[in-house]
Amino acid sequence: MMDELQYKKLLIVEDEREIRDMVDRFLRKEGFTRIYQASNCAEAIDLCRSVTPDIAILDVMLPDGDGFSLLTSLRQISKMPVLFLTARGEDEDRLLGLGLGADDYIVKPFLPRELVLRLKAILRRVYSPYVQEKRPVFPLGSRVIDLESGIVKSQNSESSLTAKELILLSKLYENQNRIVTSDALCQAAWGDDYEGYENTLMVHIRRIREKIEPAPSDPHYLVTVRGLGYKLVVKGE
Amino acid sequence: MESTVRILKRFIHATVLISLFLLLLNFMVLLLWIGNGISADESPSFVVQKVAKGLDGGPNHYILDPLSQKLLEEQQIWAMLIANTGKVAWEFKLPDEIERTYSLTDVAKFSRSYLMDYPVFVYEHQDGLVVVGYPKGSLAKYQHILQVGWVESLPLRAVLLLIGNIVLALLLSLLIGSKLIHSIRPLTHGIHALADDKEVKIEPKGILADLATSINHASSLLQKKTQSLNSRDEARSNWIAGISHDIRTPLSMVLGYASEIAESDDAPSEHRRLARIIRKQAEHLRSLVHDLNLVSMLEYEMQPIGMKPIRLSALARQVASDFLNNGVDERYTLEVDIADEGSKINGDERLLLRAITNLLQNSIRHNPDGCQIRLQTSYDPGKQICRIVVSDNGKGIAQEELTDLLELPYSVRRNRPRQNGHGLGLPMAARIAKAHGGWLSLISGVGEGFCAVVEVPAVQSNG
Repeated sequence: MMDELQYKKLLIVEDEREIRDMVDRFLRKEGFTRIYQASNCAEAIDLCRSVTPDIAILDVMLPDGDGFSLLTSLRQISKMPVLFLTARGEDEDRLLGLGLGADDYIVKPFLPRELVLRLKAILRRVYSPYVQEKRPVFPLGSRVIDLESGIVKSQNSESSLTAKELILLSKLYENQNRIVTSDALCQAAWGDDYEGYENTLMVHIRRIREKIEPAPSDPHYLVTVRGLGYKLVVKGE
Repeated sequence: MESTVRILKRFIHATVLISLFLLLLNFMVLLLWIGNGISADESPSFVVQKVAKGLDGGPNHYILDPLSQKLLEEQQIWAMLIANTGKVAWEFKLPDEIERTYSLTDVAKFSRSYLMDYPVFVYEHQDGLVVVGYPKGSLAKYQHILQVGWVESLPLRAVLLLIGNIVLALLLSLLIGSKLIHSIRPLTHGIHALADDKEVKIEPKGILADLATSINHASSLLQKKTQSLNSRDEARSNWIAGISHDIRTPLSMVLGYASEIAESDDAPSEHRRLARIIRKQAEHLRSLVHDLNLVSMLEYEMQPIGMKPIRLSALARQVASDFLNNGVDERYTLEVDIADEGSKINGDERLLLRAITNLLQNSIRHNPDGCQIRLQTSYDPGKQICRIVVSDNGKGIAQEELTDLLELPYSVRRNRPRQNGHGLGLPMAARIAKAHGGWLSLISGVGEGFCAVVEVPAVQSNG
């Protein structure tokens, strides 16, 4: 799947040649080969017509216009996803960019790894929406937790997780070894209007512990962080 | 509008009071005059009465008592007694031109008016009629003949007249007052607008034209000042935004290539270590640039704030968790104390998280030997205020240096240079609190730990 993404055509619109070259270099290192560069709006529109790129990285300040209006004109030609890469970090610019339908907004200075990760995330989201990402299966002590099928397997038994338990455990796993506040857990399970679910959350946590902990009353994996929330302790890979 | 009505009311009150006072004064002066004009012991009727009483003796040898005689002489009055026969029986300084014999008709004639142009007065005597005559032209005699009905209705008429006068005075004052108000109204509007910092343009006319010109002038001065202040603030903010923008591009390259070397397997490990240092410093510079821009935007109130109701307890838990998740040295302990679960404030979540994080970082940065940090939230139902308190038991800071901490680094208002850190943390927290309609206060003393209190208005919780 990753290989397919690397054959996507990328368009970089950026007036500073050094930045353009640097981004180009990082992307090539990540395996992308079909990278096109434009230094202003006119070139960008020409390239967009001639090579029909699959994704564009746009700067906001360009010599012959700004990236926001460029996005508007590009939209008349192409529906490709767009990522803004800009030195303008003000929140209103960010909101304007995202409001115009950009898929992400990265403020300079950026870490190359961050740019690549976000770019790939967009490509995956846009171009392989039908390939369901498999949810992880991971070992926890003597048991194996399968978040894909919602099953906790131990050597001689198997117990299944309820929908809410699965949501909570997934959220904890995404933030493994980090504290997740009870608010964030409630929000994940019951939405923004989560007030008053704190006690229900405790009940669910106890049930999860009964399934994943060898000694549920003395938890080693799903630990309580008093006053804050919970933490799923997963030993290093 | 309200003020003009008030002015008009006062004006009418004053007019009525003044007219009443004048009326009273006039009345009193009149009484005094009349009293003087007809003083009892000098009046003709008194004189004639005195003469009649003081005239003694039988026919042919009447004698006037000396007191009456003196009275007559002083005022150059003549006197006579007309006997019942019509002949003058006694006389005193009677002018020659006056007749010595009178018929009934003559008496009836002069008793009402004058005798040969002398104003005369009569009084009854046992032997006839005493007549005194004043010098010609010294007195005027009037006869008033009034109908009884007219006299009886006199008090009513007087009252009606008074009421009529008052009504007239009121109407007049209303007329004059409203005319005055009419010319003042644009001015009062103008002054109110000045207070609201709006632009004022009054057409100068009428008696208050000077005033109108002055108000216009004041307005244009104020407008100019605000404008220049605003443009200066904007220029400063833009300047900082421009600088931070210009730093971002080169910094991108430093960060990008340093990262590449740091993560490259080809580079020697010593080079990778150095590249990691460069990357770390570049990241530090990045956060500095971002903070500088944020503080400058907050300082000049140009930061858009996305307000929404936020649970204070959730906010505190979030900050504390992020803090612990990012790895805190064992020398520091963080205790979270949430007194009220449900209270909410209206705020920008990212900014508030930033403010509290800054306060926690402040405690850590200034206590390198470790300390206990407490994060408390509470709700004050009396004042409708939510409170976030970050306190530590570290080394604290002298009380007189506290105010400095809220000033921007390098500000002229700051008395001492900053000691460590970039010095933006506390000023930023203070400005974020201010942007939320609240404030940040600091409590400390050397060796007494450090306590920062953020107070923000609470929103009415709906249960």
